[in-house]
Amino acid sequence: MANNRENWGSKLGVILAVAGSAVGLGNFLRFPVQAATNGGGAFIIPYLIAFVCLGIPLAWIEWTLGRYAGYHNYGTSPSTYHIIFRKKKKWAKYLGSLGLLPPIFIIFYYGFIQSWILAFAFYSATGTLMDVVAQGPEKMTEFFGNYIMLKTCVGGIPVAIIFFLITFAANMVVLSFGVRKGIERANKICMPVLLILGLVLVVRVLTLPGIGKGLAFMWNPDISQLASPKIWMAAAGQVFFTMSLGMAIIFCYASYLKPKEDLVLSSLTASATNGFAEVIIGGTVVIPMAVLIAGANIEECAKLGTFGLGFQTMPYVFGTLPFGGVLQTVWFTMLFFAGITSAISIIQPLISFCEDDLKFTRKKSVTTISTITFIGSLTAIFGLAAGTVDELDFWGGTYLIVFVGMIQAILFSFVLGRRKVKDAKANGDFPAEVKADPNENEAFAAMNDGSQLKLPRFLRPIIMYVCPIYLIVLLVSFTATDGLPFITLSNVDPAATVELFGKTFSKIGFTWAFRGFLFVLFLLLNVAIAYAWRKGGPAEKGRSKKIKKMEIGNSDENMDKEA
Amino acid sequence: MNAEFSTGGLIFMVCSWAAIIGLCTFCFYKVFKKK
Repeated sequence: MANNRENWGSKLGVILAVAGSAVGLGNFLRFPVQAATNGGGAFIIPYLIAFVCLGIPLAWIEWTLGRYAGYHNYGTSPSTYHIIFRKKKKWAKYLGSLGLLPPIFIIFYYGFIQSWILAFAFYSATGTLMDVVAQGPEKMTEFFGNYIMLKTCVGGIPVAIIFFLITFAANMVVLSFGVRKGIERANKICMPVLLILGLVLVVRVLTLPGIGKGLAFMWNPDISQLASPKIWMAAAGQVFFTMSLGMAIIFCYASYLKPKEDLVLSSLTASATNGFAEVIIGGTVVIPMAVLIAGANIEECAKLGTFGLGFQTMPYVFGTLPFGGVLQTVWFTMLFFAGITSAISIIQPLISFCEDDLKFTRKKSVTTISTITFIGSLTAIFGLAAGTVDELDFWGGTYLIVFVGMIQAILFSFVLGRRKVKDAKANGDFPAEVKADPNENEAFAAMNDGSQLKLPRFLRPIIMYVCPIYLIVLLVSFTATDGLPFITLSNVDPAATVELFGKTFSKIGFTWAFRGFLFVLFLLLNVAIAYAWRKGGPAEKGRSKKIKKMEIGNSDENMDKEA
Repeated sequence: MNAEFSTGGLIFMVCSWAAIIGLCTFCFYKVFKKK
C-alpha cells in the first residue's frame, strides 16, 4: 500500500488548489444571481446555515474518501468504491463511474466559457469594451450575443474559436506539468492575485456614493421570506455548486495528500477561503453595484442569468464609473484567474483515472483527455444556441453532483463508518502505518490521520446523519420540483425548434439525441472501467514496483527512469 | 428596492463578515503555526 503517486509539495499548496477549484464563476456570478432572485437579504441566512450544516461536513467527507483512495494509489471513485466494497461487489466500480460524469460534462462547456472571460479581459484592456458601453446597454447585449454565437470574426475565423484554442492550450500546458509543478504552482500564483483584485473591487464599491441602497438589497434581513422552501433549496444548491462538492475534484485532490498530512484543518481552511470569496467579494461587488446602477431593474438584470450579469450588466455598470476600463479589466482578469484554477481542477480527475486506473503515462493521459475534451467542447461551442450547454450544466453541474454527494455521504457514514480499524487492518484494507484506536471506525480514523486539528466529537452526528439526510431531502425535493420538468422536457414547447449548422430540428428531438450522445459517453466510460479492472488488467496490477517514489515532480519522470 | 441600509442590515453584514474573516484567520493561523 506504499504510496508512490505524486503528492502535494506543501499544505498551503493543497489548500490553495482546493480553494482555487472552489472559487470560480459560482462565487462571483452565480451567488449574486441566486441572492438577487431569492429575496436578497433573505437568502443569506439559509445560505450560511447550509454552508455550516452541509458544505463543511460534506467537504470533510469528500476529502476523507479522497485520502482513502490515495491510500490505495487511486484518485477517482470507480476504483475507490470497488476497494471500499473489498472488491466483492462487481457493481461498485460501475456505480463509481457516476462520480466521473460531472467533470466530463462540465469541462465540455467550462473551457468555452473560460475563453469568453479571456476575450472580454482582452477587449477591456484594449478599450473595445468601453467603446461598446458608450453606445448603450442594447449594444452591449448585441456585442456579447454576436461573440458567443460565433458571428464576430477575424479573417473569416470566429474570434470565440481563437480564444477557445488559446484557453484550451493554456489549461493543458498547466496540467502537463503534473500536480506539483503544474496545478500547485498555478494556484499559488493565481489565488493571491485573484483575492487582491477582488479586494480592490470591494474597496471601490464600498466607497461609491449611495452604495447603501445596494447593500440594503443584499444585506437587510427579511425573515418573513424564510418560510419559503424554495429559498432553502436554492441556498443548499448554491453551497454545493460553489464548494465543488460531488464533482470528483476534492476527492481527486485529496488523494494526493501526503501520508500523515492534516486533512480536517486543510479542508476547513479551503472552505473558509471559498466563503470569503463568495460572501465578501461576490456578495459585495456585483449586486450592490448593479442595484445602484440598475435600481428597480435589478431582478430583471438577475434574470439574464449568470452570463448575462457577468458579461452584459457588469461591463456596463463598471463602464459608467470613472476609470471604467480599468475596473472592467480588473473584473475580467479576476474572473479569468478564478476560471483557470477551476478548469484545471475539473480536468485533473480524468487525468488521474487514465494514470491510476489505466496506467497511462502523464503524457498519454493528457493527450487522451485533451482529445476527448476538445471533441466534447465542440458540442458546446456549436450547440450553444441549441441548448447543449443547458443540458451539460443540468446533468453535470446540478443534478449529478447532488446525487454523487449523496452516495459519498452514505458510503462514508454507513460503510466506512461501520467498520473497525482493527478489522480493516487485518484485511489489509487500511494502511498499517496509520495510528488509530483499533476500535475507531475507518471513516473517522482516515479523517483524523495526521490531523493538526482533530475533528470535535460533537460534529460526528452532523456528518454521519444530518448530512446524508439533508442530501436525500435536497435531491428528492429538487427532483420533484425543478428537476422533473427538465428531465421529462415537459417544460419545452412541443413546437419549439433549434438550429444547428443551418439545419432546423425539433427542440425535444434534438435534446433527446444529445442525451443519447451523453449516454454513449457514459457507456464508453464503463467499458474503460471494465477494461481497467478485468482479470490481470492494468488497474488490478497496481503500480509497478520499478517506479521509484519521487520527492518532487510528476509521474512521467518516474516512468522515464523506469524506461 | 429604494430601502435604506438599515441598522439591522449593517449588523447582519458586519457579523457575517466577522464570522468568515474570523474563521479564515483561525484556519490560516493554525496552518502557518509551527508544530
